[in-house]
Amino acid sequence: METEIPRSNVTDTMASTTTNQSPTVSPFLDPGPVTKVNSLAILQLSRDNLVPVYLEAPKGKHDGYAEGAVVNTRYGSFPHSTMINVPWGSQIRASKVDTGSRGRNKRKRDAADDAGKEAKDTPEESNTPLPSNGDAGADAEVQVKKAVADSSGFIHVLPPTPEVWTSSLPHRTQVVYTPDYSYVLHRIRARPGSTLIEAGAGSGSFSHASARAVYNGYPAREGDKKGKVYSFEFHEQRYHKMKQELIDHRLDDIVHLTHRDVYNGGFLTDDGKSPEAESVFLDLPAPWEALPHLSRRNPKDPNDKTWVSPLNPKKSAYLCTFSPCIEQVTKTVSAMRRLGWMDIDMVEIANRKYHTSRERVGLNLCFDRGVNNSARDVDEALARLTEIESRFREHAAKSRGEGESDDDEEMDDDDAIAATKTKGGKKGNKKGSTENGNSTIPDNEEGNVSGSGSGTAPWMEGRLITRGEPEIKTHTSYLVFAILPREWTEQDEAAAAARYPVVGEQKVIGVVDKAARKKERREQLQKATLGNRKARRKERDAQMAVTEAA
Amino acid sequence: MHSVIRPNAWVALKLPSGITKVIQITPNTTISLGKYGSFPANLVIGRPFHLTFELLDKNPDENFSRLRVVPSDELYAEVFAEEAAAEGCATSAAGAGDAVISATEGEEFSLVDDNGNVVARSNREILDENARQTLTQEEIEELKREGNNAGKDVIAKLLLSHTAIDQKTSFSLAKYKLLKTKKYIRRFQVLPIDVATFAQWQLEERDASKIMDMRAEMIGLVGCWGNVHYSGEESKLPDPKVSTTEGVEACVELEKERLKGRWLVVDDTCGLLVAAMAERMGVLYPAEEESADEAEEQAEEKTEDPQADSTAADGSVQQNGDVEMRETTETTETVPVGKKQPLKQSRKSKSGPRASDFAIPYSQTNTLTVLHSSSQPNLSLLNYWNFDITSPNHAPHPLLNHLLNLTWLQLLKPELDTSYSTPPPTATPEVLASWKPSRRGNFHRKRRRYARIRHIVDNTRAGGFAGLVCASTMDPISILKHTLPLLSGGAPVALYSPSVESLAALADCFSVPRRTAWTSGNVPEIEGLSNEELEYWQGNERFPLNPTLLQGVSIQTSRARKWQVLPGRTHPLMTERGGADGYVFTAWRARPAEGRIEARGKFKRSAGKKGGESATPAGETPTTAEGMQHDGAEEVLVKRKRSVSSLATELAMTEKVAEVTSPTKKRKSEDGNLEA
Ligand SMILES: C[S@@+](CC[C@H](N)C(=O)[O-])C[C@H]1O[C@@H](n2cnc3c(N)ncnc32)[C@H](O)[C@@H]1O
Repeated sequence: METEIPRSNVTDTMASTTTNQSPTVSPFLDPGPVTKVNSLAILQLSRDNLVPVYLEAPKGKHDGYAEGAVVNTRYGSFPHSTMINVPWGSQIRASKVDTGSRGRNKRKRDAADDAGKEAKDTPEESNTPLPSNGDAGADAEVQVKKAVADSSGFIHVLPPTPEVWTSSLPHRTQVVYTPDYSYVLHRIRARPGSTLIEAGAGSGSFSHASARAVYNGYPAREGDKKGKVYSFEFHEQRYHKMKQELIDHRLDDIVHLTHRDVYNGGFLTDDGKSPEAESVFLDLPAPWEALPHLSRRNPKDPNDKTWVSPLNPKKSAYLCTFSPCIEQVTKTVSAMRRLGWMDIDMVEIANRKYHTSRERVGLNLCFDRGVNNSARDVDEALARLTEIESRFREHAAKSRGEGESDDDEEMDDDDAIAATKTKGGKKGNKKGSTENGNSTIPDNEEGNVSGSGSGTAPWMEGRLITRGEPEIKTHTSYLVFAILPREWTEQDEAAAAARYPVVGEQKVIGVVDKAARKKERREQLQKATLGNRKARRKERDAQMAVTEAA
Repeated sequence: MHSVIRPNAWVALKLPSGITKVIQITPNTTISLGKYGSFPANLVIGRPFHLTFELLDKNPDENFSRLRVVPSDELYAEVFAEEAAAEGCATSAAGAGDAVISATEGEEFSLVDDNGNVVARSNREILDENARQTLTQEEIEELKREGNNAGKDVIAKLLLSHTAIDQKTSFSLAKYKLLKTKKYIRRFQVLPIDVATFAQWQLEERDASKIMDMRAEMIGLVGCWGNVHYSGEESKLPDPKVSTTEGVEACVELEKERLKGRWLVVDDTCGLLVAAMAERMGVLYPAEEESADEAEEQAEEKTEDPQADSTAADGSVQQNGDVEMRETTETTETVPVGKKQPLKQSRKSKSGPRASDFAIPYSQTNTLTVLHSSSQPNLSLLNYWNFDITSPNHAPHPLLNHLLNLTWLQLLKPELDTSYSTPPPTATPEVLASWKPSRRGNFHRKRRRYARIRHIVDNTRAGGFAGLVCASTMDPISILKHTLPLLSGGAPVALYSPSVESLAALADCFSVPRRTAWTSGNVPEIEGLSNEELEYWQGNERFPLNPTLLQGVSIQTSRARKWQVLPGRTHPLMTERGGADGYVFTAWRARPAEGRIEARGKFKRSAGKKGGESATPAGETPTTAEGMQHDGAEEVLVKRKRSVSSLATELAMTEKVAEVTSPTKKRKSEDGNLEA
């Protein structure tokens, strides 16, 4: 599914944008205190329903709306004008919009889209952007109408972060989600100032997260080495879409995207220079095809002096490959070993989201959603059964008095019980709404009712429980990690040996035998008490200082 | 991170047994690997990380072991042999089980040396000959003592003499061999101490409880969901250059608009969380000058005092002991002790003229503000990154101006904090000149401390934080009660907890029914409160927190499952470390719209009117003294050792909470988008 966030001439207006602070900084890295025109904002409709929008200045009638660009959701319509220059995190009320010339047909289509969206309202799939705005400024001369608040609902407007972007971005491929990328970036040591290689860029989910990780400022001048992501994508359309996205997000100075097949072309810059990367992430179908390029020397000819490594020659390189199938892992690991990668480690991330709710079980709880009208405990069950029995006995006595035959009695008994039971059950269910009915079971019998009548607020009733969300991702991909130490030649070793000659070493550190350890423990203990004493003295001094000052 | 192992750096030594030792690499010492032997530290200083070193046998004319870098091909020789065998086995279907380990022509087992030659092999004939294991423990010990060929001979001998080999499956055979390999081969790796390496070691080998069982998965999640990242160059307020006669009035005023990229942290992991966040913000490691790397190294070597540093990190790691053989120290040229002092001073002078007492050393951007419950924060693990928050004269470190800390009291009731509320001393230069240097020093110290604390408190109370990250043993509800107002709109909240209960209780404060009730307009206790008053809502039993202040509340857990990847034997590990899985609570700070808001979608209009349908249940009695009851109840409810509310009890006591009258009883939760 190749989709796109609707935005109208964002790029050409971008240059003229007059933002009050740091105009060049990506909203991902510094969103500022308020939402800005022509900048990305994420609209949160419900917890997992996030929609990215480029906020447009109200220039006039837009797509038939007198209020300018409008986002339509199942919670109402939200003109962009109501979401610009508001503090991030603001709750935005829906507006009554003037559809004016907007055709009925289009509305219908919107509604249909909305419905479709609702049906598959899962985090992965809620990414169909709302068809709120298409061709902008068609009739810009028309006056923009001021939005009027509507009571239909509200949304929140959030600043873009890689996390919200990941769950709202237009999917062009499978993407790497937060549970995976957060772990990967931690393990491949992507930090401010790092250089990271990524392939393929795909939908840019990982790119955004890694851009944030390596960011340590924009390069001020040519040759200024700052944290950077070198990203590669060979699918032309995806490459172009992502290139545009990076510009729109003002991340193009941090993420350097190249259109290339890395299996054949490798990872150098277009002019043949080395990115000098310390971290590498490969989300490709065949990582082993790309791995030979990520060596220290030409793997086919170690003496090839013209070969350039894309890795930082002075540092260990941390690598992660991301593959859904175990066969890919086997091949990748085998290639890694032959190419000298160390500490090869394969893991799989299982992430689960939890839902908290109140488990409300009881016969006397008001009828509400989520209430389980069965006995809360044995006592409650007992009370009800006792009640039913006594009613049955009453009934039986009555019918016997009416002189019914013994043969029928048993059947009647059963029927009666069944009837009573259903009645009782129904009674319990309806209790909340039919207070006046002559109930079979005392509604507020002292002692064994659930605290519904005791003053507990309804949202505090029942036991707080957590359970996994109904749908879980049980497998995303296998993560293979590895480290390639820097090259260490005989000359390097000779230089180091000359600089740090072995002298008459005296002290032993590291693992020592028991006796030495004991002795050391003693010393440490002494030190610790000394330290404590010192700290105490410090505190006393501070106290004294205070009294002195007073 | 550095490109080579630096003198006095903290590193992790990974031993063949899989055990990691964290030590400080002190120059001119001997590093002992226990039974694997020992070697001079100078043999690894200046060398790269992650190489595999092997201890060589002592040269006849030397009394120490030299090291050899083991090429990767040698390390993987067995696997390569297995792969080759597996390939061969694919063509000849028969006897597949035997062929997994053996190379070719019926060899069941082989040991390959550096050059790929087979050193030892055990084939059926030999195994048949030696019916039972022939090597005794003494023989093994003897072999080890001889140190022949780094223990490989032992393995070879064991292999050759081990009898039951052909009875075992290839799987257990490989395991058996691996065990032996781990036991006797004298190899190790040196890893840099970064957050990932350190945390894993602390969790798996040291003391997981000290870091609240926080796994790598959790560190990653908290950092990402907290959106913690580098956010701007260091930016300081100008030095007011005040004279010593000026007091409080001369303190630097806060410039709110300069505050940017600040994160609030509550850390009960002894500083691991702070370290992880500082790493993400680029303020954990000293700035690196690639070109000056070498030169710097030289300088550092001379300035750093190994003794002073070795006492720093928590206890038992640094293990000093005596060595049997005494040697003359005359040759220790590399660390000229006498040069230490002058060099340190020259560094200081580099930083320009001395700042005045009221100069604020803290950056206004890219900072971490740590809230702590004792008078000093416990950030002892930062010592592994050479940062000691208690040290008065600290060597340059980025955390010095990027880490701010204050107590809950200083945040909530600063007037009760002595150092905040005691005005700084003043004195004329004449008086000052008449004092002894020590008294003068004390005077300046007091003034400096005052200015800093005042700045930190005012800065923190000014709010506008970019996010909140926590790993705390305190009740998260109490933390959020006081920190939510300090977060800027849209700021993320990411809380870690080893168990889910406290986070679930927190999430319940933001449940749909609670939110619906809050916004329904039928909550007497909040009637007439302004949005700002609602932001600082101090909570009661029904609404411990203002449920509209967070958006997108979510709880998750993550677990990395490790796999073994070997030819034909790829599977998840059979056992892994247990303990806490860990949970992360995430949400964003919302800014609720003024006034009442309807929470429902277009599709649900039928839910009925408020008030009319919501009958007041019988037996509903108004609760009195709600505020006090609430505090007590809360503490019982969520048993936490140290709760903010207990610390700021006075606050809660004085707080006036309106009497609670009949709450709306059975309002249907109109699902709408309240769940957001
Ligand atoms: C699964 S997607 C990556 C998704 C991405 N990691 C994200 O988080 O959005 C894989 C991408 O790799 C690209 N790709 C595959 N083979 C490639 C090659 N040889 N060179 C460059 N890109 C390649 C594909 O076009 C595809 O877009």
